[in-house]
Amino acid sequence: MTEAYIGLLVLWPLVAGLACLVLRGPGVRSALVLATGAALAVGGLALASQAPFTANPGFLASETAMHIAEAAAFILPVYFLFKGLQGKHLLVILFSIAQLGLASVSAFMVPAAPAAQSAVVLDGLSLALMLVVCFAGSFICIFALPYMKHHEEHLHLKVSRQPGFFLIMLAFLGFMNGLALSNDLHLFAAFYEATTLCSFLLIGHDQTAEAKKSAYRALWMNILGGMCLHAGIILIQKQFGLADIQQIVNPALWTGASLLPIAFIAAAGCIKAAQMPFQPWLLGAMVAPTPVSALLHSSTMVKVGVFVCLRLSPVLAGTTTGKILCLVGAFTFFATSAMAMGQSNAKKILAYSTMANLGLIIACAGIGTPIAIAAGIVLMVIHAATKGLLFLCVGDMEQTIGSRDLEDLRGIIAKSPVVAFAAVAGSMAMVLPPLGMLVGKWAALEAAAASPIAMVMMTLGSALSVVCWVRFAGTLMAGKSVSAQHAHSSALTSGPILSMLAAAVGLGMAAPWLNSMLLPPALANPMAGGWGLMPPLFILAMIGWIIGMKVLRRQSAVTLATPYIGGLPSNEPGTFVGALGRNWVLSEGNPYAAEIFGEPQWTKIGGALATALLLALLGGAFI
Amino acid sequence: MNLTTFYLAIGGLILAPLIGGLVAGVDRVITARLQSRMGPPLMQPFFDVGKLMSKVIAPASHWQGMFVRWALIASLASDVLLASGADVLMCFFVQAGSACFVAMGAFNGNSPYSKIGAQRELFQMLAYEPVFLVAILCMAKASGGFDAFSFMASQQPLLFKMPLIVPGLIFVVLIKLRKSPFDIAASHHMHQEVVRGVYTDYAGRDFALLEIAHWADVTVVLWICSFLWATGPLQMLAVAFITLMIALIIDNISARLTWRTMLKRVAPITLILAIANLVWLYVE
Amino acid sequence: MFGSFLKKSQIKSPWLMHFDCGSCNGCDIETLACLTPVYDVERFGIINVGNPRHADVLVVTGTVNPRNAVILKNIYDQMPTPKLVIAIGACGCSGGVFRDAPNVLGGVDKVIPVDVYVPGCPAKPEAIMDAVVTGLAKLGKILEVA
Repeated sequence: MTEAYIGLLVLWPLVAGLACLVLRGPGVRSALVLATGAALAVGGLALASQAPFTANPGFLASETAMHIAEAAAFILPVYFLFKGLQGKHLLVILFSIAQLGLASVSAFMVPAAPAAQSAVVLDGLSLALMLVVCFAGSFICIFALPYMKHHEEHLHLKVSRQPGFFLIMLAFLGFMNGLALSNDLHLFAAFYEATTLCSFLLIGHDQTAEAKKSAYRALWMNILGGMCLHAGIILIQKQFGLADIQQIVNPALWTGASLLPIAFIAAAGCIKAAQMPFQPWLLGAMVAPTPVSALLHSSTMVKVGVFVCLRLSPVLAGTTTGKILCLVGAFTFFATSAMAMGQSNAKKILAYSTMANLGLIIACAGIGTPIAIAAGIVLMVIHAATKGLLFLCVGDMEQTIGSRDLEDLRGIIAKSPVVAFAAVAGSMAMVLPPLGMLVGKWAALEAAAASPIAMVMMTLGSALSVVCWVRFAGTLMAGKSVSAQHAHSSALTSGPILSMLAAAVGLGMAAPWLNSMLLPPALANPMAGGWGLMPPLFILAMIGWIIGMKVLRRQSAVTLATPYIGGLPSNEPGTFVGALGRNWVLSEGNPYAAEIFGEPQWTKIGGALATALLLALLGGAFI
Repeated sequence: MNLTTFYLAIGGLILAPLIGGLVAGVDRVITARLQSRMGPPLMQPFFDVGKLMSKVIAPASHWQGMFVRWALIASLASDVLLASGADVLMCFFVQAGSACFVAMGAFNGNSPYSKIGAQRELFQMLAYEPVFLVAILCMAKASGGFDAFSFMASQQPLLFKMPLIVPGLIFVVLIKLRKSPFDIAASHHMHQEVVRGVYTDYAGRDFALLEIAHWADVTVVLWICSFLWATGPLQMLAVAFITLMIALIIDNISARLTWRTMLKRVAPITLILAIANLVWLYVE
Repeated sequence: MFGSFLKKSQIKSPWLMHFDCGSCNGCDIETLACLTPVYDVERFGIINVGNPRHADVLVVTGTVNPRNAVILKNIYDQMPTPKLVIAIGACGCSGGVFRDAPNVLGGVDKVIPVDVYVPGCPAKPEAIMDAVVTGLAKLGKILEVA
């Protein structure tokens, strides 16, 4: 039965995606996507109820599967090389050739490792990623149905490209589930490369010049990540002859041995998670349609990176490599939070914030203690829900007004109340206690107690992100009331958004218990330390909510006071009678303080420092 | 949660705003004396809040009452957390949440002064939060735990191990008490360039509740400062009083700075000193 | 007890807003002099606020002219109730020597209801303080009755 569910999670999305491609009707497509969502939810919950377990389903454990994985290690780089030659992109060509070289070394020059003991291992970490993919991924694909319809209407496309789009979106989910579940390093690497392929195709979906440029940038950076991954695999094969991930992440295996392979794999994770200096690929991915950004940035691609680092963290605990990885993550958290402050492009704010939180999770992975790892996994899950929610909201608002600049989104609760309120709630959920993200940040801060520099960078990043998100939420509301002529969003848009909001809040409430489930039994007290404060704070928040709603109802019924402005208020709202006795428009804007938080200078200096840190990560393990 | 914690929590809930109000009263009397005036009675802040409670005025936005109630609940919660000896970091984050709600309510005001004040309030938060957090981290490192009781349990006063966080703590107190030179978001005295800044649109009962929340915040900040010499209750009160006096003297001898100076010059200096102290605590 | 505290507070914390409606600044200087250490109105809990939404007492100097009458009314309307208005100086009471000038409306009470009139040219600080105290007594009586 377990194997059937695993098949449901990994293979069904691929089948459904192919069906979308072949049967091109929109009705069929909606049905397939909804069915996939249901199937993933059912399968995910069914497997969750049986966790933890190991399994050997035929399609992942058999010889055929191993051969396919090895073949994929060649076929995918060949395809990348072909695309590189097609696009005349030097870095893609060079890196694909290098990748092929590494694949050949791995296949022919290194003795083959025995197959993993179990092809599938479901522990806390893989369960977390799998549930994130199943739920967040499904919601995003469902949201994509009306979104892509409007998107293609905006672009006046004659022939719909949605069948191919949904093929890749659904296949992506299947590959991610496979990646989360597989215990064999070669199979894992094959799924990793498959996600690179899917992200390349999705980023370039709109086929504009900017989209193609961003797609190729993402491609070469992720191929570089794949190279680091394969380098690590080759070194592990040579040194230990192992391909079983569970055996590889046993700290006892690495006593006295150089951690260089681990450093390589961690670097691959950092590149996939768009840590500095590799953040440009994620920023470039913002040109893609919003469901792509949401899928890439909240629930799938970037989670691969942190998943890899968290998987390695038992080995990293207490080592120099771990300490440097912690600094890499903490530095990214700080620098990208600062860059988010200087942005007015809403999707770029979301992108920088995502990279910041991924840096925080990687910092937890670098610390490597059970408490830190649990904090990292809790952050991973709650971030997926919250950031996915924010991306969907921004995507819908962008379609409503045709701009993604925060200044244009000012006061949008008048036009799209449901979506805007969900976005405000999501922004608050990013930074306020007792909701999950703040709790995760607090847990990470306390877990980092051994590294003062990491703690300092975490405090800086935390302060920057608070300001960024409160300003974001304040700009969306801007004192407007819901107008009578507001847009009504379809159920397929507001359904996923409200479900993600419920998930974000619910997971935050459940955070003490999630955290204790991820800890070893000796430490697993849900109310230990400060965690015991969460339920009372939640009850207080609920009381506050009730009181607040009462006051809101009372104050909504009265006429508002005339504004106190530097002039006489006039009858037209938003204007005042000023000099020369005429109406002047009252306009406002956020101070983005580009001289302090400007993207160019932070990218340059931050990129240099981050490169130095990554080189120290690899070099430190080498010496 | 045992009975003692419960009593401490209730005590914190009721006494902290009252203590904060007393601090506000002492603040005004001493400021007046420093300016060769008599000053108001000590209970004046309570009269102010009592008067504001009965004022009737239309709100500036539908949302401000909601955000004020949330800010008040968060501020009182941070006091309760500190009083019952809970995690000081979480107490800080809850208080930061209260400041966020005040800023959100101001963003929703209909006056441009309110919105300028809200933006400046966020930059003030950006300026004081890191150094305040690093100060708490120093105290946590020196006491071996994150809960308030460990902070108060040190045999030797914490001040000797962390003298470099004192400029940072003074900076935080100046900002939280809205004293020159960092009275940037809610210009305290009349006819300053943003009228009342972040507080412009709050009036009547909402403003009264916000004052009470402010008192609760001030109590928390001064209490955390008093952890520097926590060998006994009288010593803690003395430290809090001395911190308040330093803030008042600086207030009366300085003009206001701009937010850019605060953020680009003063905040980094205090932060670097605090970080140096933190690293030193780890190295030895 | 709590109710009586709230009632007492209403006259123990008069926050002033000062508006110049065309005064020569003589009365304004005297009004602001009240804030100085010599007269120190903060003894009575009086603070000078710049935001009408926070003000209880509106202190108006100057004759009122058609242009600033609109603004005066606007500020008066933005104040919370209960509120007091004090007209300072001969100009504020009745227009003073400028009463017959073409642009002068002739006193604050032509625009908004005035509670206390302070004669003088300029009015003395002691008289202004006395006016606030009188106004508070009037307010206290109103509130007791209400």
